[in-house]
Order: sequence, then C-alpha cells, then structure tokens
Amino acid sequence: MSIYYYLSAFLFCLGLLGTIYKKDLISILLCLELMLGGVALLFVLFSRATGFLDAQLQVFFIMIISACEVAIGLSMIISLYRKKNTVYTDELKIISE
Amino acid sequence: MHLTYLANIGHYIPEMLLVVLMVGLIILEATYKESEKNRPYFYITTYIGLAATFIALLVNLKALPLTIFTNSMTIDPFSTLMKMIMVLGTFGAVYLSKINRDIYDSLKSEYVIISVGVLIGGMILASANNMLMLYIGIETLSILSYVLASLSKNNDRSSEAGLKYVLYGGISAGIMLFGMSHIFGIVGTIQFSEMITVLPTLEAWKIAVIMPSFLLFFVGIGYKIACVPFHMWSPDVYEGSPLPVTAFFSIVPKIAGIAVLVRVTMMFFGHTGPMQIGWIGLLSIISALTMTVGNVSAINQKSVKRMLAYSSISHAGVMMAGLVVLSEIGVRSIVFYGITYLFMTVAAFYILGIVQDKYNNDHFERFTGLIYRYPMMAIMMTIVMFSLTGIPPFSGFVAKFNILYALISKKHFALAIILGFNSIVSAYYYLKIVRLMILKKQESDETISHFGFLNQMIITAMTVPVIFLGIFWERVMMLAQGANIFIK
Repeated sequence: MSIYYYLSAFLFCLGLLGTIYKKDLISILLCLELMLGGVALLFVLFSRATGFLDAQLQVFFIMIISACEVAIGLSMIISLYRKKNTVYTDELKIISE
Repeated sequence: MHLTYLANIGHYIPEMLLVVLMVGLIILEATYKESEKNRPYFYITTYIGLAATFIALLVNLKALPLTIFTNSMTIDPFSTLMKMIMVLGTFGAVYLSKINRDIYDSLKSEYVIISVGVLIGGMILASANNMLMLYIGIETLSILSYVLASLSKNNDRSSEAGLKYVLYGGISAGIMLFGMSHIFGIVGTIQFSEMITVLPTLEAWKIAVIMPSFLLFFVGIGYKIACVPFHMWSPDVYEGSPLPVTAFFSIVPKIAGIAVLVRVTMMFFGHTGPMQIGWIGLLSIISALTMTVGNVSAINQKSVKRMLAYSSISHAGVMMAGLVVLSEIGVRSIVFYGITYLFMTVAAFYILGIVQDKYNNDHFERFTGLIYRYPMMAIMMTIVMFSLTGIPPFSGFVAKFNILYALISKKHFALAIILGFNSIVSAYYYLKIVRLMILKKQESDETISHFGFLNQMIITAMTVPVIFLGIFWERVMMLAQGANIFIK
C-alpha cells in the first residue's frame, strides 16, 4: 500500500515542479494534469484503506473537472498563439507591474 | 422508491431558478441576430430571473436551518445572506456591463450568461457541507471565471489575464485536492457533519498529519479570496479583464470564498486544542499580511482600477480578521461588512466605469475637477471613498468598528492595532481621488455622455445604502443576528 502512496505523492510533486519550472504553456498544462492524476490516485488509495467509497466518487469529479479545465486552458493558449505566435511564457509577458 | 433526499428540495429553489435562467438565457441569446446590439428582452429576463432568485432567498431566510440532499448542502441564514449579497452584486455587474463600453457589444450577452453561471458556483460554495460540494463549487466558480477574465478576446492583456488565471487556478485547486485527500485519509469521511465528531478525538500523530493538510486545503480557498501569499494573480487579472468583469470579480468570488472559509473555520476549529491554535495563528498572520500588503501596494498605483483591485485585497483581509475571534459576533460583523462592501464597491465601479468610458483610461487624473461638472456624482464618489476608508457616519466605519469590537472583546489587540493603522494608510489613496475631484480646478468642461439622468439616479440609489447602513446599522445587525452557522 505504501508504495502507491509514494507513487502518487511523486506524481503530484513532479507535476507541481513542472508547473513551476516549465517554460511552455502546453507542458504546464500537462504537468497540471499530472498533479491532478496523482491526487486522484491518492483518493483511490485512501478509499481502499479506509473502506469508504465517498472518495472514489470524488475521483470521477476530479477527472471531469480537470478535463473542463484543460479544455478552457487549451482554447486560451490557442487564442493567444494566434496573436503572438508563441507559447513560451517568457515571450508572452504583457501586463507589467 | 426512496425519495427522502428530495424532501426539502423547496429550499433549493434559488439555485434551480438560476440554472433555469442560465439555460433560458442561452436559448434567448440564440434567437437574436448578430446585428441586434440592443437586446431588451434578454436583459429584462435577466433582471426578472435575478429578482425572483432574490425573493426566493428572502423566503429561505425565514426557514429553519437544515441540510438537504443527504447532508451535502446546508441552508442556514448565514449562507442565505451571503447568497443575497452575491445576487445583488451580479445584478449590479449586469447593468454595469450593459452601459459600459469595455466589453464588445457582441459579447455582452455572453458576459451575462457566464456571470449567472459563476453566481451558481458561488451559491453552491456558500452552502457546501461536504468536501465534494466544496470542490465542485470552487471549480464551477473558477472555470467560468477563467472565461470571463479573457472575455475581450482581441485584447492581449485580457487573454493573458485569463491564461494566468487558468494556470494559477489549476495549480491551487490541485494543491487543495492534495490536502483534501490527506484529510480524507485521516478522518475517513468527506461529510463535514461526520468530520466534526471525528476531529476532536484524533490522536497526536494524526493531528500532526492533518494540520499541514488543512494548510494545503487553505490554499484553494485563499486563492479565491486572494489573501496574501496567493494574491499575485489578482492585480494582473483585475487589470487585464474588462471593467465590469473586475467589478464582478471583486464581489462574487470573494464573498463566496469568505463564506466557505467562515463555514470551515466555525465547523472544524470550534473546540480548543492544538488545531484551533494553529488555524487561528495562521488566519491572524494571513489576515494581517493581506491587509498590509493590499494597502501598501495600492498606494503608488496610477490606475484607479488597479487601486480598487489592491484595496479589495485589503478588504478581504479585514473580513478575515473578523473570523479570528471564532464567535457569532465575528460572523455577524463579517456579514455586515460584506453587505456594506457590496454597495461601496458597486458604486465606486459604476462611477469609475463611466469616467473610463469617456477617456479610455482610468488614471487618477481623469477625476480632476469632477465636482464642477457633475457635482452629484462627485459627492457620491466622495461618500463612497470616505466609507471605504472607514470615516464615520458612513457604513464602512460601522463595519470596521464591528470587526474591531469583536477583535478587542476577544483580546486580539495586535490584529486590532494593525487594522487601525491600515485604515489610516488606506485614507491616503482613497482621499487622493477626493482631493483631485474637489480641490483641483478642472482642465476642460467636456460632458460625459453616460452620466445621464437615469445613470445618475442609479448611482445615487446605490450610494444611499452606504449612508443609511451607517446610521441604521442596528436593524441590519438584527437581520444578521440569526446568521449563526448551522452545525449538524
């Protein structure tokens, strides 16, 4: 059981680090999905461990909602790409302090 | 058939009305041709729908607190009052979007539809009674807000604001879920009502795990309120999005976030112990930081919209300070603060929106000498700014005073002093507008076309509560008296 815990925590941390360090928007979105995938695995794991099914229900909602989020995110990246011709965060900065 | 879980569905009418309204508006929007800019029936339907929701909420206010849908939603006076604030905020934002030119004409109906959707999310959040509903509420709120932020699709800043919002929002939701999963692992349930009974009986090592989990859980809520470590998105998004969207964002998601934070705090941290000490310490530090950072950043802003964005961060900090006392007085003063904050913010954004329409920018200088041209509007703006600062007789003073009273009665002196100092700092940038409007000579005497009679009347009508809530505040506090959190 504990190996799965480490696996999901590893996936989550990998995704979190990716969202911080990656420089292109597509990779950031992918890392976001990795984070949510890790969390979903964790919910399933805890659900098995405690014997309550509520958390497995939550996994479905996590999957649905992360799909919505990626759909919105991708559409925004495309609309920005049409104007700026790039998906790299360094070249996109418009709003200044 | 066991339909017992539908027994109290009558109390869920406001949300159902809004869902019907949203779907109806989508269909109605499709019947208009693209060339028809003025869409009277569309707006009339929206106003009627929102008014009906408000009336349904008023009916709910009298009902006894109860939980519906197998304990997953709570209907209590507190959540109903918060929902009423959100509905009124949406009402104001919808009319603002109609008269404002910051949103393209072709996208105005989309704005209304999506803001009704965000309102539904906020209402789910305000009465969420388990982790799943909380998550769904936050995400309904967020996902539609992302679209709203990038509504001016030809404007680069708006697109960037939306994209920033998506990325920050996704990451904070992921972190919140990570905390949530650990809370589930320790407690073994997602129902708040069952968690309350389990939490006080935990062993020491479980508390050591669950406290960092609650910290991660707080990230998601704190992001919606825009409190300090998670506030970085807020000025960028507020500046990048069109003005009616900014007005909407500074009311509805913020009030919804405060509502869920109040519920979580009052439910889980009511009993003394290490968890309570940790959570109260966290809230005190974050609220003090939020107030200070919001105010200090607002000082040297050139754009009034950005200034209002930072000031709304600091107002969220003040509302959080009312939570630290963990008592009904605190909750009541938060509700009162929310009501006054609604009217002040909406009125300020209306005047700013109309001035910005004229000059195509929103720098402080645009307000110069407004009193010589539109004395009524200048006086209203002065009242709103005084109230936002917290100068007596206006309602902002009473709201801040209530929170100070609650803090001092529970001996949180440090936080009370920080709140007092912050009011003084905020006077600088609020009164800067007043100085420019009244004491400086005007540069030109152009007329501002949107300050017609009707709009002046509407702005005056919205400022009236700012004055009268400050004088007859006891009545409103009586209303908020019953706003105790229903714990079951």
